[in-house]
Amino acid sequence: MLSPYRVLDLTTERGLLCGQILGDLGADVIKIEPPGGSPARKIGPFYEDLPHPDRSIYWWAYNRNKRGITLDIAHPEGRELLLRLTRGADFLIESDDVGRLASLGLGYEDLRALNPRLIYVSISPFGQDGPKARYADADLVLMAAGGPLALTGDEDRAPVRVSVPQAYLHACADAAVAALAAHHERVASGLGQYIDVSAQQSLPLATQSGILAAPFEADQGLRIAGGVKLGPLKVQLVWPAKDGWVSLTFLFGSGLGVFTKKLMHYLWEQGWCDEATRDKDWIAYGELLMTGKEPIEEYERVKKIVSSFTAAHTKAELLDLSLDKGFLFAPVTTVEEVAQSEHLRSRDYFRPMEHPELGRSFLYPGPFAKFHESPVTYRLRPPMVGEHNRDIYAGELGLGENELAGLARKGII
Amino acid sequence: MASPLKDVKILDFMWVMAGPAATRMLADYGATIVRVESPLRVDIARTLQPFRRNRPDPEGSALFGNCNAGKYGLTLDLGNPRAREVIFDLVRWADVVCESFSPKAMRAWGLGYDSLREIKPDIIMVSTCLMGQTGPLSSFAGFGNLAAALAGFHHLTGWPDRPPAGPFGAYTDYVAPRFTAIAIFAALEYRRRTGKGQYIDQSQTESSLHFLAPALLEYSANGHSQIRAGNRDPRFAPHGVYPAKGKDRWVAIVCKTDEHFRTLCSLMGRRELAGDPRFAALPARLENAEQLDALVTDWTRTVDELEMEKRLQANSIPAHVVENSREYLNDPQVVHREHFVELSHPHQGTTFVEGPRAKLSRTPAKVGRAAPTLGQDNQYVLEEILGYDAERIGELVAAGALG
Repeated sequence: MLSPYRVLDLTTERGLLCGQILGDLGADVIKIEPPGGSPARKIGPFYEDLPHPDRSIYWWAYNRNKRGITLDIAHPEGRELLLRLTRGADFLIESDDVGRLASLGLGYEDLRALNPRLIYVSISPFGQDGPKARYADADLVLMAAGGPLALTGDEDRAPVRVSVPQAYLHACADAAVAALAAHHERVASGLGQYIDVSAQQSLPLATQSGILAAPFEADQGLRIAGGVKLGPLKVQLVWPAKDGWVSLTFLFGSGLGVFTKKLMHYLWEQGWCDEATRDKDWIAYGELLMTGKEPIEEYERVKKIVSSFTAAHTKAELLDLSLDKGFLFAPVTTVEEVAQSEHLRSRDYFRPMEHPELGRSFLYPGPFAKFHESPVTYRLRPPMVGEHNRDIYAGELGLGENELAGLARKGII
Repeated sequence: MASPLKDVKILDFMWVMAGPAATRMLADYGATIVRVESPLRVDIARTLQPFRRNRPDPEGSALFGNCNAGKYGLTLDLGNPRAREVIFDLVRWADVVCESFSPKAMRAWGLGYDSLREIKPDIIMVSTCLMGQTGPLSSFAGFGNLAAALAGFHHLTGWPDRPPAGPFGAYTDYVAPRFTAIAIFAALEYRRRTGKGQYIDQSQTESSLHFLAPALLEYSANGHSQIRAGNRDPRFAPHGVYPAKGKDRWVAIVCKTDEHFRTLCSLMGRRELAGDPRFAALPARLENAEQLDALVTDWTRTVDELEMEKRLQANSIPAHVVENSREYLNDPQVVHREHFVELSHPHQGTTFVEGPRAKLSRTPAKVGRAAPTLGQDNQYVLEEILGYDAERIGELVAAGALG
């Protein structure tokens, strides 16, 4: 879908996913790493737990469908090579510390002069300007700064993050959306532009608009174990099962109360509650609780009934009930269970990619969507350090053997 | 200054959060979006928090407003035979049709891709749902908190000695919309160059698994199934969320280097810890993380949260106050970046939404107007977009097609 276009991917560990998304869509993505390889290759886990730049599973996760070259862009000769590549590029993505590329003469204004069609995407922790633009960052720090952390965790302990770092993935996905919007416009105008994405601003989407509570003068959510506290209500979303946990949406109102009503009827049929409990006004129940017309203790009693019910069933039994009766139970699934999911297998989701240098293949999460006319293909396993130097420098830029050797000797490639 | 998507027309049957959050982005970039709502079955997003001063109001949900700003609202009873002619005319008008019902629903209404393609051969149709259009769980319908549990996010969020905390709310609804928008752009580009439309089947679970790629690949490569680790990180220590002075005040702190740790020790007035063999180097700090966290906490408890953030950041140590809505609203960076946008609203007077999440230099995204009230644009869509005359519109109303 994007096969006519070239992407120069200068990103650090922060921005790797953005280029991979464009690569999955068919773009020719060239990952440009410092000589010796990107520092992101030092991030584990590692294949067979052996740290090595070409065994970083973190690296693999976000660099599929890219070719890889090494280049010291801070060296004048390296910079010159990057400028040559820029002339033929459609997108450039970077996630360096704010101002670093501009200080090397590789900022948007510098490159626009060479290639006015270029779409130049910057992914940064807090955005390119403002009082915190140069703040030091980390995944956990951004989860704190962007809203989701405050809503997650047990109330008697600190707020807690998702153990697989998430913050920059939100920013990278937003950056890919913006790059494609700019591309759509470029088709008409012939002009590129600059795109500034801040992880701190990408993250509030993960608060389900809870970030708007203050301007709406509403109660803001507070973290509780397996749910969220809204005003006096402890909304529980994770429930015990016989063999683990399930997620259950047990909520009220004209949309969700219908499901709760149906579930309570079933619990009554199965002998888990009395008629009076079954017949509560599940549509209006939230308001009844908020206004004190229904005591919170009563809600807690009902939650105990539901909890006893879920605890008496396995995850699989509860999922079957969802499929049979339209209830809202879903098993809390382990990584292993996801990897072995019958459903995902039937959709041919995980895709094997050969790593010939390691003599085996690995299963990658499959295409993010099934395009029936122009399917996403996984063409290239993540590049090894400098794997495509020859293709690009000799094949495309026409450098001779001596020049290549010279650049390597000077540590530029 | 032209909007990037001024030529793009979208017929949008999506509801709740995951779908509408995707087309909201396209609306900001100038696409014309006709959002069809059922007059009979309320969009659940209209029933969800936050509400202005906590008062439930189908025209006052911040979630609905945030996901639907900039779209035109049309009510149509899809089960009404007269509604079909309106839909077919809208399909002829549209470049893209999106829907987020459970699989089969569109086909049951005679609005599956094959039907739409007969009306408009190059139509792009996107179906997005929790598990995808095929497979044993395809009929599993529900919300993003359920897909998040099925995708593994819950098992990976929380304390290892406690049940999973889960990420907040409908996590896949935060990830999937970006991929929905990306899919639409890719399909538009493909159509531009080939003349071909197509059908796109998006499983919100499958899109969201890209955010767990390292854990899934690690399982494939090493057979190891990662579980939740609280706030620990194998690369850094200290790495945690620490209590500040006051009740339930927290600051996230990460020491990425030994240098960061030495500086932290100085700030804590505990220089000797930097040379303590239990903490001097990263492997030891990881080994003794619990003791280390306790020592850091002794200090953080005595320091105001904002003061702590400033002092740590002034020393280049990654740190930030844990911000809930109130703190975020007042964060000087967020204010500087003009994250929140105030809009006039027919019922509320004014309302707030989040602004576009990316800043484009030449053709910036902008929020056109507040989300439509139920049926707000019926007249506009039928008269201006479809060119129906008053008589025809009257017939549709009389037939109950609009509810």
